[in-house]
Order: sequence, then structure tokens, then C-alpha cells
Amino acid sequence: MSADKLTVTFAALADPTRRAILGRLAKGQSSVTELASPFKMTMPAISKHLKVLEKAGLIERGRDAQWRPCRLKAKPLEEAASWIDQYRQFWEESFDRLDAYLQEIQRKEADAASTPPPPSIPEIDSPEPTDDRQS
Amino acid sequence: MTASPNPAVGDSTVDREIVITRLLDAPRELAFSAWTDPEKVVKWWGPNGFTTTIERMDVRPGGVWKYVMHGPDGVDYPNKTVYEEIVPPERLVYTHSGGDPVPGERAVQFRSTVTFVQQGGQTKITLQMVFKTPNDRDYVVEKYGAIEGGIQHLARLNEFLKG
Repeated sequence: MSADKLTVTFAALADPTRRAILGRLAKGQSSVTELASPFKMTMPAISKHLKVLEKAGLIERGRDAQWRPCRLKAKPLEEAASWIDQYRQFWEESFDRLDAYLQEIQRKEADAASTPPPPSIPEIDSPEPTDDRQS
Repeated sequence: MTASPNPAVGDSTVDREIVITRLLDAPRELAFSAWTDPEKVVKWWGPNGFTTTIERMDVRPGGVWKYVMHGPDGVDYPNKTVYEEIVPPERLVYTHSGGDPVPGERAVQFRSTVTFVQQGGQTKITLQMVFKTPNDRDYVVEKYGAIEGGIQHLARLNEFLKG
């Protein structure tokens, strides 16, 4: 999604009336009169908001019916949401790595504190011939 | 834009913030140092596959932290932040002032507040990113002021639409 498109989407969403209109349309298509009824607003004021939403591609107006129902278009919302998700993903993954790193530090500290000083002989990976006799 | 059923809406930062929390299995002092000690920061900063080179990390109010994130695709993302508040081991506030905050995304200005709360042997980290509007640049106000208003509501609305 281009930055400009995103800006248009966010600008459209920045107004509480327009968000309320989208919330109403999420339940199904609606006429302008129905959309206007919960608000103490003139029809031209509502129409202005609808134009902003339509321009942002967040809603579409029916051409077929006389009452030109408004419908929600979800795509720009999803695209804008994925922009935010980028930030979330960045931090979820960073926090995963931070968590793992902190575990590693603490494990090392615990090892250093609990184990006796390292033996002077190198670590024995391949078994040397040992004396199996019990003492 | 002018008429609104609730004129009070839009003033709090709730409208323009992203909050992410995580409970970490580590004491608070250690978690805090993982954010402020450059040797530790480079071990975990950034998403999977990224590495970080720190050019400068001056952890004090007004101090600058400059770093470059190297993406798995070989692309470098330079970043610059300025520390505003440092309260070990509780709180860290810094402002992102340049570069790509998230690889692939355009630069926006925001302030991060990181709080570290001890919960038993664990630490709850809360990262709050508030997208800000610099007063001195009108075009930024115009562009990003809109983003500020939209972010949180968008997240809610989107969840609502999905549900």
C-alpha cells in the first residue's frame, strides 16, 4: 500500500463520525437517511463525510437503486491494519529474541555460579582408557 | 471534520498509540540492561534474521542512539533516536527521529516509552509507541496528524470487522 493511499485512509478514519458510520455499515448496507439518524447533523454534513469515505475507498454507493445504499469496502482497512501489524510483528519477534537472549544470559550466570572452577585438564570428549576397577 | 457527536474524542494519546506488552522470565535489572547496554542490545534487536550495528549509543537524556539494522535481504536500515528519560531499571523514553523504524515502512516520528515492572522473578515490559506531530512542520502535521487519529480506532475497527 502506498504511503499516500495510507494517509487518505487514516485521514478518513481520523474522524469519530466517520468511524461510527463505518461501524454501522459493518452490520450491512444502509441508506444515507438511516446513517444520518443517530447523529445530530444535517444531511449535507453527513453527505460530506460519506464523500470522504468514498474517496478513501472505504465505502461504495450503489448506482442501481434510487436510494443509493452505502456499503463498506474492507480492503483499505485491511491494508491500513497490516501497516500497523508491521510494527507489531517487529516487536513480537524482537521480544521473542530478547526473551531467548535473557534466558541464555541467566543460564550462563547460573552455570558460572554453581559449577566449581573448571578443571585444569581439557574437556574429555573421547573416552580415554579408564580404570574400571572399584576402589 | 467539524461536526462531531463527541467533541472530546481525539485528545488523548489512546488515539495514536500502539502498545505491546511482554512478560519476560528475567529480573528487571537484567531486562533493563538488555535495552541500554549496546553489547546486549545487538543480540536481540529487530525481527528474525536481522542484525544490528550500533554506531553510537549515548544513554542519557538528550543522548543519541544511532544504529543500522541489516535485513536478511542485505538491505541496511539506518535509524536515529534521541533519549529523553532514563530511570533505571524502570523506565526508558526515547524519540525516533529518523530512518526506518520498521524495515520497509516509511519514517514517521514517534516516542517510545518502555516500562519495566517486576512481577516476582519476571519482568513485564510495556512498549508504548505514540506517533507524534512535530509542530514546526505543517506538512507533517497534515499527513501524520491523520495517522495519529486513526491508528487505535483502526485496530479496534478491524477486529470488530473480522469478528
